[in-house]
Amino acid sequence: MSLIFDNLTKRYGSNTAIDAVSTRFERGVIHGIIGPNGAGKSTLINMTAGSYPVTEGAITLDDTRLDLLAKYQVANAGIGRTYQNIRLFDQMTVLENLEVCFYDREKSGVVAEVLWPPAARRRYAARREKCLDILRFFGLDHMADLEAGSLPYGRQRMLEIARALAQSPKVLLLDEPAAGLNHHETAELTERLAALRSPERIMIVVEHDMDLVMSLCDRITVLHHGKLLFEGTPAEVQASRDVQLAYLGTQNDIEDIRAAAAARRAFLGIRTRRRSH
Amino acid sequence: METTLTPPKTAGTGSRGARRLGAFVILAAITALVTITPFLPNYYVRVANSLLIYVLLGIGLNIVIGYAGLLDLGFVAFYAVGAYTYGLLASPQLGLHLPILAILPIAAVLGAIVGILLGLPVLRLRGDYLAIVTLGFGEIIRILMNNLDDLTGGPRGIFGIDKAEIFGIAVARPIEIFWLLVVTVVIVGILVWRMEKSILGKAWAAIREDQDAAKGVGINTTNAKLAAFATSATIGSVAGVIFAASQRFVSPDSFSLQESVLIVLMIVIGGVGNILGIFVGAAILILLPEVLRGFAEWRILFLGLLMVTLIIIRPAGLVPRAFGPEKLLKALFGK
Repeated sequence: MSLIFDNLTKRYGSNTAIDAVSTRFERGVIHGIIGPNGAGKSTLINMTAGSYPVTEGAITLDDTRLDLLAKYQVANAGIGRTYQNIRLFDQMTVLENLEVCFYDREKSGVVAEVLWPPAARRRYAARREKCLDILRFFGLDHMADLEAGSLPYGRQRMLEIARALAQSPKVLLLDEPAAGLNHHETAELTERLAALRSPERIMIVVEHDMDLVMSLCDRITVLHHGKLLFEGTPAEVQASRDVQLAYLGTQNDIEDIRAAAAARRAFLGIRTRRRSH
Repeated sequence: METTLTPPKTAGTGSRGARRLGAFVILAAITALVTITPFLPNYYVRVANSLLIYVLLGIGLNIVIGYAGLLDLGFVAFYAVGAYTYGLLASPQLGLHLPILAILPIAAVLGAIVGILLGLPVLRLRGDYLAIVTLGFGEIIRILMNNLDDLTGGPRGIFGIDKAEIFGIAVARPIEIFWLLVVTVVIVGILVWRMEKSILGKAWAAIREDQDAAKGVGINTTNAKLAAFATSATIGSVAGVIFAASQRFVSPDSFSLQESVLIVLMIVIGGVGNILGIFVGAAILILLPEVLRGFAEWRILFLGLLMVTLIIIRPAGLVPRAFGPEKLLKALFGK
């Protein structure tokens, strides 16, 4: 059982953001998606999560066609995600941010919850315990009653991952989880994400931080101009000539960049010398 | 660097002393209202009744505005639906004389249906657009009441509405209506507060905070919003029934846009998303005009000044969202 992209395509007018990508993501594996800016990584994530409609092709999770579902149904089918720009429920507490993920599983009991307090208390206690377990894993349990919007940036990133986990997702989609984190926080994040590896779960990480991707991921998918450029282990990706070209350009491009850098150094050097007169 | 940023503030405001003082003031005001009113002349009881009806309306509208974050300017329509339901089913107008206990559930269901009818077309709208459409909806209902002469009596309204009776006890004099309102406000207040704390209330809050992210965690925002509209409309309709039973006369004049705006203002001044705030907001907006009756021409000016001042010094309302009923209990009795 796995998450399968079949000939997945996304067009905006005449512009093709994702061009016939076919690949599959397996349970128990941490997948990385990398690619230069504009390669289509975010589009791919947003299509998988049901945020953008699919132009052509199919996304299938365990025989369920995700591309035919509404966004909330995609979430309930087992996709948990984080966002490139943190999107927490700022005025709700840290704990409530996780509890609300139980809405679909518990909405049928709302009337009982309102009218019959003992039932509500049992249900509430069970839900709360599950959420606290997740918070504990991220070292956020002592902040459970704080407003989510008041947490420091790094904690908010962690909380967003915790919230995605509270959905008990089959697929965990992480859109640049290390963006804006310092070295220390990135190391902590890498460690926590590695511990989330589970035979039950597909993990997909879109990330610019190559250290994180190379040390965390088992398999890496490289996108370039919306096309699938390369797939393989971190070692294979690093050795791939195609990938190097995609990131750095042709040998001529590399020489151009070097020349430009040399010119800039020379220019700065001249300026400094002038000032010293 | 990590975690050495400014210490996160707790989900509450003000010092503990101030909070405790505020809690006592609110509690004392409510207790005073309930215990003193029965001994006052009818005029004061009527003012208290008006206050409680607006509290009920505020609790209803707050579900849509405060919990789900949807600005509804046509709330008075549901109030009208309830009032006219009682007016039609318990008066010589149609020759029907149902008891109020039978009409309350009918009006509640009717209110919920009308709430969903309003909710369906506006589901995709937010903010200003939603406000304009709901405002139009409120006007449509009022204009309907004004022009369906055969059914509603048109601008003349419905006269001679029956005295309400509950289990053989007459509920018609102001003081009797007062007790009916106190009981209703307590029951509705507790139910709505429990709803806010339920998983549905949390889903409403998530929709208010970030609708797309709410969908992303599996919330069917369409259904949750319809539930908010329906619940809110039900309460509005129940308030309408009691209003009609207490006035024993309904006419379209009572359901103007101004009423909707007044209820929204109550919520904004008292504290958006907080049941306690509604009591404070209603107290200010209903009692102040009565207190200032001697300065009739100046009343609106006073109100305007008060509102501008409040919005500048307390933009989150007099009783902010974070200071809910559970905080009140804690401040009064807790550690």
